[in-house]
Amino acid sequence: MIDEKLRRQIEDLHTRYIRAIDDDCLEDWPALFTEECLYKIVTRENFDQHLPLAVMDCRSRGMLEDRVTGLRKINFFEPHRYSHQISGLMIESVEGIIANCRSNYLVVRTMAEGTMTIFSAGTYLDKILLDPAGAKFEERIVVADSRRIETLLVIPL
Amino acid sequence: MKEPLLEWPSAGVTRSPYRVMSDPEIYAQEQARIFRGPTWNYLCLEAEIPDPGTFRTTYIGETPVIVAREKDGSIHAMVNRCAHKGAMLCPEAGGKRQHLTCPYHGWVYDLQGKLRGVPFQHGVAGKGGMPEGFDTADHSLERVRAQSFYGLIFGTLSTDVEPLETYLGPSMAEHVSRVFHKPVEVLGYHHQVLHNNWKLYMENSRDPYHATILHTFYATFKLNRLTMDGGITVDHDGWHSINYSKGATLREGGYEGTGIRSVVDDVGLADPSLIERRQEFDDGITVAIQSIFPSCVNQQIYNTLAIRNVVPQGPGQCELHWTFFGYRGDDHALRDMRLKQSNLIGPAGYVSIDDGVIGEYVQRGIAGTGVDANSVMEMGGSAVESTPGSRATEATLRGFWTGYRSLMGL
Repeated sequence: MIDEKLRRQIEDLHTRYIRAIDDDCLEDWPALFTEECLYKIVTRENFDQHLPLAVMDCRSRGMLEDRVTGLRKINFFEPHRYSHQISGLMIESVEGIIANCRSNYLVVRTMAEGTMTIFSAGTYLDKILLDPAGAKFEERIVVADSRRIETLLVIPL
Repeated sequence: MKEPLLEWPSAGVTRSPYRVMSDPEIYAQEQARIFRGPTWNYLCLEAEIPDPGTFRTTYIGETPVIVAREKDGSIHAMVNRCAHKGAMLCPEAGGKRQHLTCPYHGWVYDLQGKLRGVPFQHGVAGKGGMPEGFDTADHSLERVRAQSFYGLIFGTLSTDVEPLETYLGPSMAEHVSRVFHKPVEVLGYHHQVLHNNWKLYMENSRDPYHATILHTFYATFKLNRLTMDGGITVDHDGWHSINYSKGATLREGGYEGTGIRSVVDDVGLADPSLIERRQEFDDGITVAIQSIFPSCVNQQIYNTLAIRNVVPQGPGQCELHWTFFGYRGDDHALRDMRLKQSNLIGPAGYVSIDDGVIGEYVQRGIAGTGVDANSVMEMGGSAVESTPGSRATEATLRGFWTGYRSLMGL
């Protein structure tokens, strides 16, 4: 039996994750992960064939911070925003202080000139560290259903 | 004599008319004259069809193609289109099959594309069926002539194209053999839709001028600068090219304080392990982009190795297929380094993100231009030649247009 307090803690982490990205507060995003975290975006095509290539492959919180630096200061792209819809959160198991969860996501991307598209839909596979000071992602694998990326991906999913 | 589709500017290949990026009639002619014409097109890697019965699907231009390995180990390619009603036989990216069976009416082909069976060929209870003279030998899948070169499989729909090695030319063949000198292992795929004409991506892939300017990551973190030893090599009258640089030869200066947008001050990497690299090639080259006419790119950026194939999808769109690989037998640390560095490339790569949209900006920018509006390519003069010491040139783009004009009769 997963208690309600635990579920609320995990839902709260998901909510803060969406707010950091969709409200363009990306500087708050790395702090939602542990120092030694793993954050990957993979396509289902590679994932199902056990091919290790990822679209984004971050193996530390530092690499997440670098992704934010990249999009703020280095890379060139047309400005755009995301709107995340998250559903179907399932806490599959709890091992000690780690909760294994999965949920669905849908991201609508709106470009500066107004074009809106369903940019990505898929599954989050999470290992969440249940710290009394606040839950954090130890691992988040984003499995995107489509093998195609439309134009480019610079803001994390 | 049919009138040419357009008149090429008198300045030759230092110009290219914007119209070739959006005109549907020119696009249709490209399918006939370039992709179904005398060119060799990248299909897949031998490593992707290792066993008898394995196959991959791809495209030559818009034409869907199957590449398969037969029981005897031989490689065959054919158009992915049933000889009966034209249905695609294999919608999937790859797999393993004994035969190719059309889902529509069940026509069965072997892995060489020969028709082996037609359901109800002799009718039902003596009635109906194919006519007396119907010969399955007349209804094979359209053949694509395939040839492997160092494990890269190329295919052609033309019967009079020159041999593959002659088509590549000595410098290009040598560079392919440099990268594919031992068996490779596919590490994964990327697919990226670009809202621009396929040629804008091919220009981009060959363009050493933009590389260290648009791609701020390159210059800022000193992965690639024009102040490193490097150059360009063209072959087959410039149809194909390589631009390369040697990271260890960087000279300071040249960018800082010049106002060039490409260096961001006061930026560091919180986790610099991203750009740790291992010197794999004894020629000292750390970044090399080889562009093979019409639509294949063979890329080495540090320890990331990939083939990019551009599939045209109408005048204003193309899809970029990346096949990322390492070598079979890579030690664990090197394999891991390639995967970590994969953050540099692909649709979310620090180096390549910028290319995802720049072609679209051109496509949108040239909308509404008149028949006499052209792009300008005068960097490095007007010649199409290799420059071993310089990358401040657009000779590689002029080479692309040389090949294009020759095939298109423009």
